[in-house]
Amino acid sequence: MNAQTGAAARELSYAEAIREAMDIALATDERVVLMGEDIGVYGGAFQVTGNLVEKYGTDRVIDTPISELGGAGVAVGAAMTGLRPIFEFQFSDFATLAMEQIVNQAAKVRYMLGGAVSVPVVMRFPAGSGTGAAAQHSQSLEAWFGHVPGLKVVQPATPEDAKGLLLAALDDPDPVMIFEHKILYKMKGMVPEGHYTTPIGKAAVRREGTDLTIVSTSIMMHKALDAAQTLAEEGIDPEVIDLRTVRPMDRDTVLASVRKTGRLICVYEGVKTLGIGAEVSAMVAESDAFDFLDAPIIRLGGAESPIPYNPELEKAVVPQVPDILEAARSLAKGMI
Amino acid sequence: MPDQEASGNSPYAVRTYEPARLIEALRKMHLIRRFEEGAEDSYMRGLIHGTMHLSIGQEASAVAACMSLTDDDKITSTHRGHGHCIAKGADLGRMFAEFFGKETGYCRGRGGSMHIADVDKGNLGANGIVGGGIPIAVGAALSAKRLGTGAVTVCFFGDGANNEGAFHEALNMAAVWTLPVIFVCENNKYGMSTSTERSTAVKNIAERAGAYSMPGETVDGNDFSAVCQAIDAAVKRARDGKGPSLIENLTYRWRGHSKSDRNRYRTKEEISDWQAKDPIVRMSRMLKDHGIIDDAGLAKIERDVAQTIEEAIAFAAGSPSPKIDEATRYVYTDEAAA
Amino acid sequence: MPTEVIMPKVDMDMASGKITTWHVGEGEAVEKGDPLFDIETDKAAMEVESPGSGILHHRAAEGRDIPIGMPVAWLYDKGESVSTPPESGAHPEDPARTDAIPEPVAGDVFLHKDEPPVAPGADDKVRATPRARRLARDHGIALGDMTGSGPRGRIQAANVEAFADGRAPLGEPSVAAAPASFHPQAGDLKVSRRGSGSGVPAVLIHGFASDSHSWAAFEPHLGNRPLIRIDLPGHGKSPRRAPASFTALASELRQAFDQLGLERAHLLGHSLGGALALAIADTRPRKIASLTLLSPAGLGPEINGEAIAGICRANRAESLGPWLKRLVGDPDLITDRYIRTAMKGRADPDLRAAQTAMSDVLFPDGTQAFDLTPALGRLAMPSRIIWGKSDTIIPWRHALRAKGQTALHLYQGLGHTPQFEAPEELGKLIGDSL
Repeated sequence: MNAQTGAAARELSYAEAIREAMDIALATDERVVLMGEDIGVYGGAFQVTGNLVEKYGTDRVIDTPISELGGAGVAVGAAMTGLRPIFEFQFSDFATLAMEQIVNQAAKVRYMLGGAVSVPVVMRFPAGSGTGAAAQHSQSLEAWFGHVPGLKVVQPATPEDAKGLLLAALDDPDPVMIFEHKILYKMKGMVPEGHYTTPIGKAAVRREGTDLTIVSTSIMMHKALDAAQTLAEEGIDPEVIDLRTVRPMDRDTVLASVRKTGRLICVYEGVKTLGIGAEVSAMVAESDAFDFLDAPIIRLGGAESPIPYNPELEKAVVPQVPDILEAARSLAKGMI
Repeated sequence: MPDQEASGNSPYAVRTYEPARLIEALRKMHLIRRFEEGAEDSYMRGLIHGTMHLSIGQEASAVAACMSLTDDDKITSTHRGHGHCIAKGADLGRMFAEFFGKETGYCRGRGGSMHIADVDKGNLGANGIVGGGIPIAVGAALSAKRLGTGAVTVCFFGDGANNEGAFHEALNMAAVWTLPVIFVCENNKYGMSTSTERSTAVKNIAERAGAYSMPGETVDGNDFSAVCQAIDAAVKRARDGKGPSLIENLTYRWRGHSKSDRNRYRTKEEISDWQAKDPIVRMSRMLKDHGIIDDAGLAKIERDVAQTIEEAIAFAAGSPSPKIDEATRYVYTDEAAA
Repeated sequence: MPTEVIMPKVDMDMASGKITTWHVGEGEAVEKGDPLFDIETDKAAMEVESPGSGILHHRAAEGRDIPIGMPVAWLYDKGESVSTPPESGAHPEDPARTDAIPEPVAGDVFLHKDEPPVAPGADDKVRATPRARRLARDHGIALGDMTGSGPRGRIQAANVEAFADGRAPLGEPSVAAAPASFHPQAGDLKVSRRGSGSGVPAVLIHGFASDSHSWAAFEPHLGNRPLIRIDLPGHGKSPRRAPASFTALASELRQAFDQLGLERAHLLGHSLGGALALAIADTRPRKIASLTLLSPAGLGPEINGEAIAGICRANRAESLGPWLKRLVGDPDLITDRYIRTAMKGRADPDLRAAQTAMSDVLFPDGTQAFDLTPALGRLAMPSRIIWGKSDTIIPWRHALRAKGQTALHLYQGLGHTPQFEAPEELGKLIGDSL
């Protein structure tokens, strides 16, 4: 049972949970359309849309040409004029082709027009490394979008949140960017039936602890939980936070945890420099929680390189469980 | 529109529209010209900061393109968009207020000249990005088609935008999905300083339509009636569910690209040649020739327009500025998210 | 650039203090950590250690009221030219200012108005974590008064908490197991000095798995004389290393003793420190004015190996406590707070690793692997053995191996640490006779 909705839950994969959210939205809201490359009969590059085209037809599950800029712009224009488009980028890397429409238009139109319109577009970005697809199909660009006022940026880490955040994004009057880690698509988890939303802008404490805080995003949340188990056996009691939303960031949850533990590790897959960890760290440093820090902050992020092809190299450039363990141990021992 | 038997050789616009609407169209063209001049004057007096892109000389294109549109129909506009905004029915006081950065402006002082919009009248906004509005227009057309509103979208852009990827992607999608959108290229011969001859492989931008299986037509953009005729046909086609068209209006901006332009890329002779083709003079002559207006009527329009501009500037000057502590308002709909 | 010595805030509501005595004269050299001056506030008198090493100049006058944070002297490098006192970077703390919150900047949309900037405090130049600074503010403690256990001496929350508990600065609460191996550190053994006075100094050597703080309760009873405490290797603040044998350990201690350059000294040792004191006395007989051995090791094979292993192994207060209770005759003396503090002192995994390695050398299989009984027979200076008859770590009967003129003092009801369990009693016995 889901505490929020009272609905029964059953096991679904992350991809199935997203598809179920889109199915509910298409069934209950005529304004909803899906747009993207090969999301129709092909079912999407990662089979997220699956067979929805059979159920809702090509007028509502729309295969776009390979035109990321134009496609994103059409979604923005449609959102400004009454539709609720869910636009899928085949890989988040391809959003670089559409930055103009996302950054200059979707994010800014409301402000530029003094609040006269909203842009309720939802964009989905399959992101992250681990598939052997190398440098142009493996990036984690969420921090780019998090830098843009006017956008909301979420990173669901579980099937339940993947569905809940997508439905919340559809309820949201402003553009919401959903970064889905490709490796998570096949991960299973309990997902409540029916319509429910996961609040945007709210982090989740996945494990309570007293000795240090690990703020994690997306797939790194699972690695942080793995590490936490080992650490607990060693007598180190970490608190693991799943950030869930990159913008607007949940200050309260992060700061409360740091005030409690006095130690902070941020772990995220995007490139370390100028990334999410920098924002989380600065948020702590600028707040009263600074006075509760009892050690320097550690950021674990992607290496300063593109994602390599070789599988060992690919692993080496993003944080792994042993990296988290090492960081946590050195923090807990007061070695740094 | 059916031809009117009694006026065999009269221009399309005269045959098609009631005299009162044509006089109103002329008045709008004057409004645009005086508005631009008023904006230029205010700029020079330091009442407007930033820059602006004036459309003096292009008035016929803007007004004629909107003749057959209703408030439900949409337009997307460009950085040279004051004329489109006025043509679609905007209030000049709120436009000036926006230029003056006032809270009463169309964008509450957040957008300025380059983002002027009037959503209630169907103007989805000017755009600071060349070609930025083109996919958005296609999106608006997609909405109209999906929601069955019967509305069409007129997408204004300049000759510079026809070399942006967004132009090609958007035209292709509009054609593939048979969407009710009219692409209106206002070809004023220069993308900033670079002429179409130097920037564009085809002689006429309307030829690009062939690549996307839609009708393309190049017209004299300073001829009000010619523009009306081409656009009205395209609007009808769109409303009939036959898909998009591309109309190219050949015109000319009398002023520089922006306020910082020193006009080094064109000659004084070229400018004065085009000033001789003044669309307002031509429109006035057409209306006079067909007995729709007389000199007194023309003088009255000029007087009325001057007064409207004066009142609009006074409204803007007397309007309050936005509150400093509201600088970050209107980023999000739910302002708690900011 | 000379180092500033300030009037420290040592008391929560202290606004100023008086220097009653300077321990170091104008123009004299002083080492960091040496007693520098005594201060008197309206509540307490206290000795202040030198914050650095150097030549002392510009001493403030004794008996004058000096606001906290104001300079009282400057330390110069050897050979550095001395003229007028430098400008002080410090400002006297204004109590009225302490709680004042700066006004937020009006009209600036880019600042979070709910977070006023914090005014800089007097402890700016001390290396300390933000949490430690906050705790110190809350407790009204000056950070300059404590040493940090973090990297490069950084003061961390646990140091402040320990200080606030009325204890010397100690390490972090332990969470990590001692590593099987550790990187041995080089360097001299840590020597710390307490007390003043003109008497013959007393040199104190603590026992295994303890440190110089263990003398704290006993020190006030040792008379008006300088007290010099040596931390064993792998203990307290000495380098983390484990000597290869008792002989090697004794030789390290002898070297440390020699480096003190003392003409004569009273030598006191507890447990393993007793054995080491005996070894030093055996080789430096002319320098030892008297020898006091408290529950000394080295006089027989028996020792409580379980307790030693238990203490070495203990990772947290819960596992350390039961073994600490074995050390004393009355287990109630070992309070929870005492255990927690002791554990904090043992937080450094390398310390525990070093001691584990040392115990394996000195006490293999729960047996004392060294025998100093012959040395007992050779002692010429006045010597005494003090033992509690409830000692469960080393049997008190080992004392009976004493020969000749060594005095025996056996206490009913005391355990392995008589100097901690009954400091006053012991003070009466030996304080004046040293």
